[in-house]
Amino acid sequence: MPSATLLAQSVLSGVFSGALYALMGLGISLAWGLLRVINLAHFAFVFLAGYLVYQCIGVSGWSPTLVVLLALPLFFVAGVALQWLFARFSVDEFGSLLVTFGLTIMIESLIQWIWTADVRRMETPLSTWSVKLGPIYVPVAESILLLVTLAVVVAAWAWLRHTYVGKALRASAQNPVIAAAFGVSHRRLAFLLSGVAAATGALAGVFVAVGSPISPSQMFGSLGVVLAAVILGGLGNPLGLLAASILIGIAEALTMALTAPSWAPLVSFSLLIFILVLRPDRV
Amino acid sequence: MLSLESIVAGYGDAVALSDVSLTIAAGELVAVVGANGAGKTTLVNVIARLLPMRAGRLTWEGADLGRLPPQALGERGIALIPEGRRLFGAMSVEENLDMGCYRRSARALREEGLERVYGMFPILRERRGQMAGTLSGGQQQMVAIGRALMARPRLLLIDEPSLGLAPSVVQQVFEVIRTVNAQGVSMLLIEQNVALALQVADRGYVLENGRIVAQASASALLERPDIRAAYLGGV
Repeated sequence: MPSATLLAQSVLSGVFSGALYALMGLGISLAWGLLRVINLAHFAFVFLAGYLVYQCIGVSGWSPTLVVLLALPLFFVAGVALQWLFARFSVDEFGSLLVTFGLTIMIESLIQWIWTADVRRMETPLSTWSVKLGPIYVPVAESILLLVTLAVVVAAWAWLRHTYVGKALRASAQNPVIAAAFGVSHRRLAFLLSGVAAATGALAGVFVAVGSPISPSQMFGSLGVVLAAVILGGLGNPLGLLAASILIGIAEALTMALTAPSWAPLVSFSLLIFILVLRPDRV
Repeated sequence: MLSLESIVAGYGDAVALSDVSLTIAAGELVAVVGANGAGKTTLVNVIARLLPMRAGRLTWEGADLGRLPPQALGERGIALIPEGRRLFGAMSVEENLDMGCYRRSARALREEGLERVYGMFPILRERRGQMAGTLSGGQQQMVAIGRALMARPRLLLIDEPSLGLAPSVVQQVFEVIRTVNAQGVSMLLIEQNVALALQVADRGYVLENGRIVAQASASALLERPDIRAAYLGGV
């Protein structure tokens, strides 16, 4: 039996990986729940943003603030363009899954062509800095990730719950014809939401690059666990997504501490299958 | 004033409305009655711009509506109470009412509008946080009416408000229709309950197989033997 300190350290690292799952999954959950678009290319956006951050900050030495301020609007535009494609060719829910899978492979190839398939590591002062709280080490970069994720998730929740645009998005997802009769232009709101979703993906990309070494094939490694969190949390439900992500993160970390690291993926996929059997209406 | 001239509309190859002409003067309550499948809901959907028309002319307050998207009608003072309520079921009562005042110029009047709707239907104030989909049919109809009133309409399109409701609730709903009409809102009322509709209406049109077969003042229609025989059980 591992010590209490080790278990506490595991739970903490589970919370941090859960926060990254939530930040990666937010854009997928919003687009799936409110636009009925299953955007697998969101993972490619996350990693593309991660590589751009690596290139601009890690290699070229630009200011991190500047890079984030450039990346968010850039990926917002990419999200709008993607939604324009879906609308232009009237892509349905299942079609979006296939199209974005193809797009993901294309972006993965592009990343391999530019940065090769080798693992890249960005050295920043944040990467290794941690603070000791009693017997527990708290990594600073992950703490910032957790705070940013909390802020973004709560902001997304409040946006959907308390603004006219958010209510209109939810209304339109339930009944586009009647929403239109009350003045809601689904087309314009879909562009906005898709842009916001991609921008949150870019933000996740920043933390993917800062947190650990990256390689192109990793984008498929996180796909299953993030989709599990998205479905478990409820589509289009940011707070549910955050809770589900942290739950899965902790379950994985404890599995690694108590058994072996190779068992961790089993936890998230068992959970996913379990949910799909018990609550098929969630998708 | 609303004016329809020789409207033709349908779905696929089927023609649901042929050569329908109809007018509603300012402040008037006009009923369109007819059997199931006569084309009544098609008529509402054409006016609300939810269904394109194949021929004819649709004008409101002198402006041509025929090319406008449905989103533009709220700004022009037209609101819809659709058949079967069609609420946003996974949103709360108050969020549904908020969707009524979604267009910018209506948002400033939100608080006043909520007070008005809750004044008419006090039960909705108690249930304001409840998901609309979990309400009873009568309460859902109240939300549908409230949602449309939040838009501050000058013309209200009301499609089958009595459908599936208990008689006491139908009374309450028609009471509100009468009150709102008395406040100067023009209305197009679609009803299968012909007697009820003609009792509150100023004028009525009878729709059969997509054509207008009779039009007169509501009281005159109620007196006509053929209408009584076809729609009022022959008494």
